[in-house]
Amino acid sequence: MTTGSTLARTVRAEWLRLWSVRSTWVLVTLLALFVAGLGAVAGWDAAGGGGFDAPSRTAWEDARFTMLFLLFGLVALACVATAADYGTGGIVPTLQWTPRRGVLLAARAVVVVGAAVLVAAVLLTVAAALVAVQVPGLAMPPGAGASTLGDAALVVGSGALLGVGLGFLTRSTAGSLVTAVGLLVVLPLVLGNLPYASLKAVAEHLPGAGAIFVVFGQGMSEDMTLASARVTLLAWGVGAVTLGGLRLLRSDAGR
Amino acid sequence: MISVRGLTKDFGPVRAVDDLTFDVGAGSVTGFLGPNGAGKSTTMRMLLGLDRPTAGTATVGGRDYREHPAPLREVGALLDAGAVHPGRTGRTHLRIAARSNGIPIARVEEVVERVGLGAASRRRIAGYSLGMRQRLGIATALLGDPPVLVFDEPVNGLDLEGVRWIRSLFRECAEEGRTVFVSSHLMSEVQLVADRVVIIGRGRLVADAEVGEIVGSRGSRVLVRSPDVDRLAAALAGEAEVRRRGPGEVEVVGLPEARVGDAAHAAGVAVHHLATVEESLEAAYWSLTEDAVEFRGGHERAGEAS
Repeated sequence: MTTGSTLARTVRAEWLRLWSVRSTWVLVTLLALFVAGLGAVAGWDAAGGGGFDAPSRTAWEDARFTMLFLLFGLVALACVATAADYGTGGIVPTLQWTPRRGVLLAARAVVVVGAAVLVAAVLLTVAAALVAVQVPGLAMPPGAGASTLGDAALVVGSGALLGVGLGFLTRSTAGSLVTAVGLLVVLPLVLGNLPYASLKAVAEHLPGAGAIFVVFGQGMSEDMTLASARVTLLAWGVGAVTLGGLRLLRSDAGR
Repeated sequence: MISVRGLTKDFGPVRAVDDLTFDVGAGSVTGFLGPNGAGKSTTMRMLLGLDRPTAGTATVGGRDYREHPAPLREVGALLDAGAVHPGRTGRTHLRIAARSNGIPIARVEEVVERVGLGAASRRRIAGYSLGMRQRLGIATALLGDPPVLVFDEPVNGLDLEGVRWIRSLFRECAEEGRTVFVSSHLMSEVQLVADRVVIIGRGRLVADAEVGEIVGSRGSRVLVRSPDVDRLAAALAGEAEVRRRGPGEVEVVGLPEARVGDAAHAAGVAVHHLATVEESLEAAYWSLTEDAVEFRGGHERAGEAS
């Protein structure tokens, strides 16, 4: 039996594991309601009800900001999906069933990132549609959609990878959530607003800063580019999952 | 077959398992005994690839557990029945296990029926009693129809009917030619079900033998009540060891009851009671592990592994 077939089996098991707990459905449902609400408000605003923004060229542009909320929600999902195994002690049977830990790491990353990207794509499309139906003539061109969904895949996929990595690294739901919030929200805001260039430079290289740049096309300084923001996001995701994987590979299960 | 060779595990400065070597053969039930902290669970965790040994090897069917492509088809194990996500149903828990090892989903129904979970398997595990969780764990162990079964304290939480059921399950599995390796602190249970026992203390091997050999290791003992135990002791001097147990009561070690009765008769000693003392595994166990207890009431010794 090849590693490929073992991985395929483990991916199927991990998919069922993810969708067979209430916390996943509750989180996705709340996120869906929230993003749909944001889409409706954005449509109302674009239709002239709010009067805050300049008219957009496509509905995708007006719905784009929901990516950030999708990122926060789906990173939380990734943290919970990974770390809950340690909280319940379920990591022991999990590793009995899949003792090749590299395979388990890969399968969990594939499933959580895949599910997060899928949910983000669907909800972002719903949000854009809610904008489009309220603004006569505002279209949802496929080209702009592909670009927006591509960016969403990068932002949410990297974030989910970060969540999986933090889950394996901290082995604690609370610990991984707090660390994720710190890296995505608190530290970029705090460091970016302090009057020290070195701390601002650090803030620019945090995943939260990278996500904001990819979503809004502008960042904390002139030095940031779309490419650097994308690299920052990916590097944090890959780095976290590498560190989490090292802990999974080298440590005794659940000790 | 399970083979453990020079297995050693250190947790910082504490040596939990110390150069352990033993085999567990097919077609029999082998009990794994030892005081708390002796290293039983750590040994089982190393066998199942959950803990990394500091030295030595533990193999199943000649291979490291992690090398088995579908481990549930080789080894079924229950270590901690509580280590499951309480939000899933028992059936979903089993379906995840089945998917992970390429086991047909139909097999889930079979094991659910075999362990007697029935309709309860459709309920969330959070609502299960400890006994039901044990049954779910046993169902998971049986899922891949493996030739080797490993259980850590499997009767915990089971009611009387459950205990009888698991006893017969172990015997059935052994008669089917499987290797059954069971740790328990319930000596009477082990004595009833095991053919062989491996006893460890402070991480080291204390005994590895048939249950009969262990139980008989203290020699035959005969309890005698007599109004003249001094004359009886004098009559048996040189032939057996005579231990006083109380007023008018002695224990004769090393002679069968018939010989003790004959000696009393020949010496003209009245005997009011004479019977061979039935040895228990528990008594033999305490005798063997007397110096190997990690934690004892009143004072604590070094060591933390369980």
